[in-house]
Amino acid sequence: MKRDCEQIVARVLQAGAWGSFALIAAGLAADLAAPAVGSWLVKAGMVLLLATPVLRIVAALICFLQEGDRKYALVSLGVLAIVVAASLAAVPVGH
Amino acid sequence: MTLLLVALGAMAGGVGALVGIGGGIVITPVLAMYFGLPMHHAIGTSLLAVITTSTATSSVYLERHVTDVRLGMTLELATTVGAAAAAVIAGYLDRRALAVMFILLLVYSAGSLVRRAWKGRNEQPQAEIPAYQVRRYGLGLGASLVAGGFSGLLGSGGGPIKVPVMYLFMGVPLRVATATSNFMIGVTAATSAYIYYGRGDVNLAAAAPLVAGVFLGSITGARLAPRVRSSYVLFLLIGVTLFLAFQMAMKLAEGKLG
Repeated sequence: MKRDCEQIVARVLQAGAWGSFALIAAGLAADLAAPAVGSWLVKAGMVLLLATPVLRIVAALICFLQEGDRKYALVSLGVLAIVVAASLAAVPVGH
Repeated sequence: MTLLLVALGAMAGGVGALVGIGGGIVITPVLAMYFGLPMHHAIGTSLLAVITTSTATSSVYLERHVTDVRLGMTLELATTVGAAAAAVIAGYLDRRALAVMFILLLVYSAGSLVRRAWKGRNEQPQAEIPAYQVRRYGLGLGASLVAGGFSGLLGSGGGPIKVPVMYLFMGVPLRVATATSNFMIGVTAATSAYIYYGRGDVNLAAAAPLVAGVFLGSITGARLAPRVRSSYVLFLLIGVTLFLAFQMAMKLAEGKLG
């Protein structure tokens, strides 16, 4: 049962890594022809890259809850709270 | 310029994945010295590369069942707090202070790599991981707070602290400690990266080709890792870190490091 959570977290990380790479690579290629499209794709890729660690915490949290592992669900929730607090505190004023 | 950044990312990502480090230790000084990025921007930009290595390689290690997800998430409670606090502090530090600390980190990392190469010289890659019981969570959380602090302050350096603590004091086998440290790096680096990004210390033009290169290098490295004698890669990395430390000290003395 421990293996299931590993699998889900692995899938989320894999999807985030490949997805952000695809967006960034497409953006770099598009930049040569249409810079506006290219920069949009690169930004989307960066957002996905930055969001992936958070998504994998959420995936672990849901998986621990489903397994009834309350202790580690709580640990995941704690990590999520710290990371989300840091990201909210980091949002520049006026943007 | 773009292709050079892809190449830098691919090399750092490949070596990072083979040795089990984020790669920021190589990327930050190269960005600062040869691409002319100010120290804060070099660190913020390299954090994105570190997230990429961790994200791309963690899924491979998870599938090999060498990552302790529960231990990793527990220690992340401390690395993220350290990372957030140190990232805020870094914003108030002078770039030369950051450069001096980075040189010390390079020397320390070289030392820890030498020790690892020496200890692991007769090591056979084991097929099975021995059963283990994690001990001394308090010590692990304390070390993780410091490791997270290094990540937030300098964009790298958490691995050389977490891995020995898990291995020597917490009863975790070395391969598990390395994979778990690598797993934690993504969340830790992301926490600091948000703060650098919010402050405008991430150079997106440099980060995009860098991240693309890191991704290609690290998925290749992670797949090659079981078949490559890591001692050769370790010696290469020791040489590179010492060279970068020397170059950084020279540039700093000449006042050429922005």
